Amino acid sequence: MSVENTPSLSVCLSAMTAKRAALITDSYKVVKRSRREEKREKRAPSPPQKDTEPRPLTAREIELQELRQFDQDWRYGPCTGISRLQRWERAAQHGLNPPQEIRDMLLSADTDPDYTHCLWSDYPL
Amino acid sequence: MFSEVSAPQEGSCSLLLCRPGSEDQEPSVFDRVKPAYSPCSERFKLGERSFNRQYAHIYATRLMQMSPLLTERAQQKWGADVRIRKLCDLQMGEQCCIVGTLFKHMELQPSILKEISEEHNLLPQPPRTRYISESDELILEDELQRIKLEGNIDVDKFVTGSVIAIYGAEKNDGKFTVDDFCTADLPPQAPRTTLSSDRFVLLLSGLGLGGSHADSMLALQLLVDMVTGHLGDQGEQSGASTISRVLLAGNLLSQSTQDKDASTKAKYLTKKTQAGTVDAMRLLDEMLMQLVSSVPVDVMPGQYDPTNYTLPQQPLHHCMFPLSSSYPTLQLASNPHQATLDGVRILGTSGQNVKDIQKYSSMDSHLEILENTLRLRHLAPTAPDTLGCYPFYLKDPFILEECPHVYFSGNAPSYQAKRITGAEGQEVLLVAIPEFSSTQTACLVNLRTLECEPIRFSSFSAGDDEESEMNISH
Repeated sequence: MSVENTPSLSVCLSAMTAKRAALITDSYKVVKRSRREEKREKRAPSPPQKDTEPRPLTAREIELQELRQFDQDWRYGPCTGISRLQRWERAAQHGLNPPQEIRDMLLSADTDPDYTHCLWSDYPL
Repeated sequence: MFSEVSAPQEGSCSLLLCRPGSEDQEPSVFDRVKPAYSPCSERFKLGERSFNRQYAHIYATRLMQMSPLLTERAQQKWGADVRIRKLCDLQMGEQCCIVGTLFKHMELQPSILKEISEEHNLLPQPPRTRYISESDELILEDELQRIKLEGNIDVDKFVTGSVIAIYGAEKNDGKFTVDDFCTADLPPQAPRTTLSSDRFVLLLSGLGLGGSHADSMLALQLLVDMVTGHLGDQGEQSGASTISRVLLAGNLLSQSTQDKDASTKAKYLTKKTQAGTVDAMRLLDEMLMQLVSSVPVDVMPGQYDPTNYTLPQQPLHHCMFPLSSSYPTLQLASNPHQATLDGVRILGTSGQNVKDIQKYSSMDSHLEILENTLRLRHLAPTAPDTLGCYPFYLKDPFILEECPHVYFSGNAPSYQAKRITGAEGQEVLLVAIPEFSSTQTACLVNLRTLECEPIRFSSFSAGDDEESEMNISH
C-alpha cells in the first residue's frame, strides 16, 4: 500500500521542486519508478513455476533420506556422537525392533561417511 | 560370629607363656580356607575412552532399560489394567501411570552457567554440605516431554536421575498430581549355596595413608598382624585362618596427599618436591605385601586414589605396586566392584555415590541411602548430573541386573549394617563400611550366615601419661 502511496507523493514533490531547481532526486525518481514496475511485473509469473515436476531422486538420495528419518526417530534415543550402526545395535539390544533394511543399507555402504555418520556429525558434539 | 571362633580356649594362655618348644616339635599350622572366587566386574572396565559424546545417551539407555521393568511393577502394584501413558498422550483429569526419569530442580545447586555469567557478577559459590532447600521441585521426564510433579511425593527423598513410575492425574494447571509412586525394587536374586563352615570376608576402607596424623598406623599394623595370623595364640590364629578374603574399599590414600598447591605455586619452588602420593603409595605397597603373602586381597580405588576421577574408576595400575604385584593373590579391582565368593554375590562402591546422594537429599544415614539405591535398582542415580561419569551410550552399567547378597559402600562415618528382604524373597546384607583412619573399625562378613560384625582396633594415642596399651575388642 505504501508503494502506491509514495509515487503520488514523490510526484507532488518533484512538481514542487522542479519549479525551483533541477535536483539529483529527479533522476533517482525515474529509476525507482521503473524498478518498482519491474518488480510488479516479476511477481505475476512466479506462481506458475511451482507447478513443474521436481526432478526425481536417485536411489542413493532416497536411501540417505531414509537414514535421516531413522536418525530423527525419537524411539531409538539420541543420534549425535555415535555412528548410525552403533545406534541401530543399541536399539536392537534394548528390544525396540529397528527396521532391518536400515542395517542392510548401513552394512552395504560402510565406507561412505554420509551413510555411517549421523545427520549432525558435521557439528561439534 | 568371629568372636566365638577366635575366643581364647581353656588353658591356651599357658601356650603363650610356656617355654619355646623343642626343635623336633612341629609347629601347628592352620591352612587358610580357599573359597571359589570369580570377579564379575567386566561391565565396569572401560576399553577405549572417548569423551566425544553427550551425556544424553546415558539417560536414554537408562530409561530404555528401566521402562519395561517399571511398567511390570506398576501393573503388579495398581492392577493389570492400569493405563500407562506417555507424557504427550496425557489427558486432563485421567487417572493414569507415567514412567520417566526424575529431575530435581534445586535453587542452590551450583551451576557453571550462573558462575561464568558476567551479568550476574557472582563470585563462585563456596561448597556446602547440602544443596537442598524448601523451594526444590520434582519434574518427571520421559523421551519427549517433562511435567512438574506435586502431591503425595516427598521431594527431599529423591534425587535427579532416578527412574520411577508415578500414579496420579494431570490437573488444570499443567502439573501432575501424584497419588502414589513405585520404584523398580530389588532385582531377582540367584540362590546362594549353603556353606558347611564359617567363612569370613574382611571389609575395610578409608585407610588414609600418607596423611598428616598417623593415629591409625598402629591399628592398621595390628589388623595386618591379626589377619596374617601373627597375633594371639592358637585360638586367634585358627580364627584368622577362617578369613578367606580381604576387600579394601577405597580411599587408601589420605585426602591430604591431593596437594593442589603444586599447580598454583611457582615452578622453582615445587621442582624438587615429590608429590605426597609417592610416599603414600610406597607405604601402601609395603602393607599390601604383608597381607598379600597370606590372604587374597581385592583393592578398590576411592575418591583420593591415583586413578581416574569419573565413575567407574579403573583399577589402580600394577606398576605402582612393585612388591605386591608379583603375588597372584593381589586383585586390583575397579570401583564399583562385583565378585562372587563361594556362590555369595558381593557388590559395592567406595562411597562416592552415597556421599553424592547425601549432598542432594535430606537423608543422612549412609545405610538408608544404600537401601534406597538398591530399591531404585541403580548404583549411582546422580551420575552424570552431579557425580562424574563416563559417557556410556550402549548400556547403563550401574543398573543392577541381579540382586547381590552383600551390598556395601565404603568410607561411611560410622559402622552400620542391616539385613533386608525383598518382595520375592531376596535377602541382602547392607554394610556401610566405616572409615578406618578415623574409627579404626573394620567389618567381618560371615558368608555362611550373611551376618556382619565390626572389629575395632584401638590403641591409646601418645598424648596419654600411662604406658600405651593395646587391645583388640570384638
